[in-house]
Amino acid sequence: MARLEAKKPSLCKSEPLTSERVRATLSVLKGIVTSCYGPSGRLKQLHNGLGGSVCTTSQSSALLANLSVTHPILKILTTSVQNHVSCFSDCGLVTAILCCNLIENVQKTGLTPSSAIKLNKHLLNLCTTYLRSKDCGCLIPVNFDNTQILLCLVRSVLTSKPACMLTRKETDHISTLILRAFLLTIPENTEDHIILGKSIIVPLKGQRVIDSTVLPGILIQMSEVQLMKILPIKKSDSLKVALFHASLSGDLSDAGEGTLVVDYGVCLENAVLDQLLNLGRQLVSDHVDLVMCQKVIHPSLKQFLNMHRVIAIDRVGVALMEPLSKVTGTQPIGSLGSISPSSYGSVKDLRTAKFGFKSFFHLIPNEVTVCSLLLGNRNDTAWDELKLTCQTALHVLQLTIKEPCVLLGGGCTETHLAAYIRHKTFIERGSIPKDGGYTQTELQLITEAFCTALESVAGSLEHDGGEILTDMKYGHFWSVQADSPSVVNWPDLLSRCGCGLHNSQEELNWSFLRSTRHPFAPQTCLPHETLGSANNLTLDCFTAKLSGLQVAVETANLILDLSYVIEDKN
Amino acid sequence: MACRIINERRHVGLQQLSSLAETGRTFLGPVKASKFVVDEERHDSVLVSSTVRLLESLDLSSAVGQLLHEAVRAQSNTHGTGASTLLFLVGAWSSAAEECLHLGVPTSLIVSVMSEGLDSCIEAVRSLQLPVHNVFDRVDNTETFSGLESSSGRLCPFLQIPSDAGLIQKAHELREVASQSGTADSLSGRPVKTAELFRTQAKAEAVKNPSPTPQTPRSGLRTDARCGQSVLAHSRHFTKMDRNEGPSQPSGFPERHGAAARPACGCDDLAALEAGLSHGDRGSMGLVGEALRLQRQPASLSHQGGRSPALAFDISRVCTCCLPGLPEAFSCVHPGYVTAVPVSRVALLQELQNQPLRVVLVEGDLTKSYRHLGFNKSANITTESTEVQQDSSGDLWTRRVVQVLIEFDVRLVLARGAVSEHLVEQCTHAKRLVIGQVSGAVIQAFAEASGAVQVTYVTQVTEDCVGSGVCVACWRSVPSGGDGAGRVAVMLETEGIHLVTVVLTGPVAAQMQSKEDRFWTCAYRLHCALKERKVLLGGGTAELLCLSHLHSLAGRPLNGGSLVCSGGLPHASSWLASARALYRPTVLKCLAGGWLRYLSALMCNAAGSASEFEARAFIQRHLQKAADSGSPSSYIFSEYDKLNSGIVNLDISNKPDQMPRVYDVVTPKIEAWRRALDLVLLVLQTDSEIITGRGHTQIKPQEAEGLLFL
Repeated sequence: MARLEAKKPSLCKSEPLTSERVRATLSVLKGIVTSCYGPSGRLKQLHNGLGGSVCTTSQSSALLANLSVTHPILKILTTSVQNHVSCFSDCGLVTAILCCNLIENVQKTGLTPSSAIKLNKHLLNLCTTYLRSKDCGCLIPVNFDNTQILLCLVRSVLTSKPACMLTRKETDHISTLILRAFLLTIPENTEDHIILGKSIIVPLKGQRVIDSTVLPGILIQMSEVQLMKILPIKKSDSLKVALFHASLSGDLSDAGEGTLVVDYGVCLENAVLDQLLNLGRQLVSDHVDLVMCQKVIHPSLKQFLNMHRVIAIDRVGVALMEPLSKVTGTQPIGSLGSISPSSYGSVKDLRTAKFGFKSFFHLIPNEVTVCSLLLGNRNDTAWDELKLTCQTALHVLQLTIKEPCVLLGGGCTETHLAAYIRHKTFIERGSIPKDGGYTQTELQLITEAFCTALESVAGSLEHDGGEILTDMKYGHFWSVQADSPSVVNWPDLLSRCGCGLHNSQEELNWSFLRSTRHPFAPQTCLPHETLGSANNLTLDCFTAKLSGLQVAVETANLILDLSYVIEDKN
Repeated sequence: MACRIINERRHVGLQQLSSLAETGRTFLGPVKASKFVVDEERHDSVLVSSTVRLLESLDLSSAVGQLLHEAVRAQSNTHGTGASTLLFLVGAWSSAAEECLHLGVPTSLIVSVMSEGLDSCIEAVRSLQLPVHNVFDRVDNTETFSGLESSSGRLCPFLQIPSDAGLIQKAHELREVASQSGTADSLSGRPVKTAELFRTQAKAEAVKNPSPTPQTPRSGLRTDARCGQSVLAHSRHFTKMDRNEGPSQPSGFPERHGAAARPACGCDDLAALEAGLSHGDRGSMGLVGEALRLQRQPASLSHQGGRSPALAFDISRVCTCCLPGLPEAFSCVHPGYVTAVPVSRVALLQELQNQPLRVVLVEGDLTKSYRHLGFNKSANITTESTEVQQDSSGDLWTRRVVQVLIEFDVRLVLARGAVSEHLVEQCTHAKRLVIGQVSGAVIQAFAEASGAVQVTYVTQVTEDCVGSGVCVACWRSVPSGGDGAGRVAVMLETEGIHLVTVVLTGPVAAQMQSKEDRFWTCAYRLHCALKERKVLLGGGTAELLCLSHLHSLAGRPLNGGSLVCSGGLPHASSWLASARALYRPTVLKCLAGGWLRYLSALMCNAAGSASEFEARAFIQRHLQKAADSGSPSSYIFSEYDKLNSGIVNLDISNKPDQMPRVYDVVTPKIEAWRRALDLVLLVLQTDSEIITGRGHTQIKPQEAEGLLFL
């Protein structure tokens, strides 16, 4: 019997941002993301409170994937950050922090959303133009002849995730491995287009970090028993490979709804097995040396293949299918019918390898653009974090090969950019377009809001109560112990700026970041001599940061622009 | 979704860690007190006597508890030992970290300095490592298993003295100490009369030419020229005489052992290693040693007197068979496989005895309905049949299996999974023995030794799959288990099988679990020592060195910029880098406090009567002496035996001259330290706990205190 229930009316709230609850939840979210940021960021334990697994993390991707926010405004924010992270892996926290701060700061100015949005767009435009220009003072071009900059970039990514629990030696080791893994994915013979290969991360949980390694080719985990059953491999130039993504386990495909009635004496299982053995015969007659299957191979088929000296590897898993088909040049086979010869591929060699307690088949393809990064870490939580971090680092390297430049990290880009924007709007204050729709005061207010938001991203790097300074020449980020004596010899107290490019002995002037200062022109164009000598820089991915900046400002604009939230309560 | 801030002033996470860790305190050291874990709701109780079992039976649903459990599990899965150390240090160091927080040290600095401190300790402890040499080479000639050369490290403390200006003087001091007391405690645990000590050295002195060292008959086995040479190079007496040779020799392992002035001991070297690693559990270690000896036999047979490949103890080819109800004295080690079968099989067993059997190995269950892994049964297919036919189809399968067994003349079936009762009956009728629930390693061992190939279904059996030459024998009957049916232990063996079964017996069934655990702990220790070919001086010596090392590290000021860079701080540009020098001694002292707690707990547990105060005073006294001696590691090395008798009194006999030396495994121990600190630092850096998936409504009001909602 159908039952009708009256529909509840939709709920409509106007000016959602003015509500106290929304502000409170936004500030909780801001607190969470801010406290996670940077190398000394605090970690979060994510768990379901019912004894589920615990994830200790400070990464936006893990954090936001597990946060279940309820309010639509928060949802907009987290979704756009997640979107950014899925495309660029890095700079998720920067995006979230900047967005939260920008919303807060703009609200404090009390301007109408429309003019604030217009001005935000204008300022964002200034930023992107500057960052893309040649004389940008926080941009370093990447020269692929030298791995130093790339290593610094990778190391910066690794050190910014403290939950990986790496010591300095381990950080160096993993950085080198990541860079090597990345270089292995670059094809040797490049023509017009480079198609990068893939680095597959293989878990070695419980092993030491120092035991992590990188190998060209693909590793497939096997039980030791299975490995011992494999016959000695006959030596030839290459092995002919067939790759199945259909299950060869001999089960019947789903018959759909309803019941299938079979005559007594007819055994469907045997019929399928016969078909499998026919398939086996074809594989043998086609002189296939190696059969791999994503799912399970029926033991009888395996026995048959082994008898004919064909190596059978099953339960490869879906994750390895794409790289396997790529490196072997096979067409994954999806049916038990006859196989077209064009679906076969080849590999150069097949070996076995053992790491820790795990045994692997090591597949060496003819042309290596796929490599396996075996990662170990002491506990599961730290391993998960390390894996995510390594993926981020590999992705960042890929982005860098597309746009070969990097930004200064450690907060220096943000403070420098804020100084630049302040100065730029200050000198252009006279030339505001008449039809721009905003006044000089509005511009000043929003510029301050925008720049403070940028600086508060840099300020979020500090978690132990230190103070942030900026120098009046480069506009870089410097940190100092809180409540230091008022009359101090700054050069002695400070050591290096956040990115590590400048040191305090360069006759600079400093001022507190939170104090009001007269706008100054930060020096553009990086000095080349300092660049050459500095080998321990903190660097950020250019593409990811630029996108983060854009996403943050646009999301803030979107949220500021919201005037109604309509909820369907049914 | 809710979020709880957990480190406002007092860090809840660290407090949870230290209180959880406190539960494992009595498991530290050789004398372990068992615990009952009682479930008040179900009135169950479990007897636990190891950290791993304790954490398994505790309800650790909190996030921190889970992380702790995960860390302990990872340690025991990877290394099989070190879990108690891990648990205790987690507790000690989380208190230490909390203390640092109270003292106002910034979190990032605690993390960086503690991490650096432990790294430095691990480096320092390297000097306490002793090599284990491949003496299995000699097995074929001597028929004795001499395992450890480490007792030959008797003069090692002298080698540890750095070659600085104070060397000679320190050496003199040490000798004076030795002559004053009249005896010099040799590191092997036997006090040797000073005169004797010098006599052997004088002998070696006389042998200027590198030739076999003549001290004892046993060391005469050594024909390695290097040994003789290093005797000359590494005794402080010879460096005086032969200066150009002395300093040129690095004091690495290979040379160090050569300084052997080893007294003839009653036990062979492997026995010394076993005793040292037994940590007081001689019964279990005896079985482990027996298993190792049995395992070496087929290997030496197959190598036909050639060199055995490696100094190894393959624990994957050791299995245990627990037979509760038998007296303890029946515990023993057998080559091959031992398991218990129902007493109804005795007649069949007797018939099968004394003849080689053909065997089939089954990978999965041996039931009609079993299908290989990954096979999905379609639910909606039915066979058109009558009831009678269905009954007979079960029979049909059984008959088919028995028919196959008869066809290939197979008398023995070992299955990894369950075996259907009906089939067992039918096979017994047909005079064939079927044993189920056999572990994979056992199946693999039989596959290798008998030439059988594992199959999943009996229908797969071909002539190639059948193995041969397995012998079956009744061992003894076992008192009935819980179900009342009597059982009989049966031995399966085949020539050259690489498998050893350790039969563990005991009158109390509740103790079987801990007996088995203790056996495996010993097995892992010996396995690891032989694999790594090195051991650590045990009995708290390493920890004492760490303690004294941290104190001296704390006293030493940071020198210049070099340490700022190497300090392990994530970014050296931060103000924390400069504030580091200020807080470093505090943090290092707190870390050292953790070691002190560890050592005093170890002493209290071992000695039973000693109060914590006494223990601390004892440790402090030695610490002071070590610091005064100028080189703590050589002091500890030389005082090793005396310290050992003080810190951990293992031997029941309590006679100092029969006291075995105590050793520890290297990597598991160091990894346990690292894991413990990692866990503490992970929790220390955590500032909030985010509970996912539960809305406002699902959280009870009493839990909601301090929660923030999104």
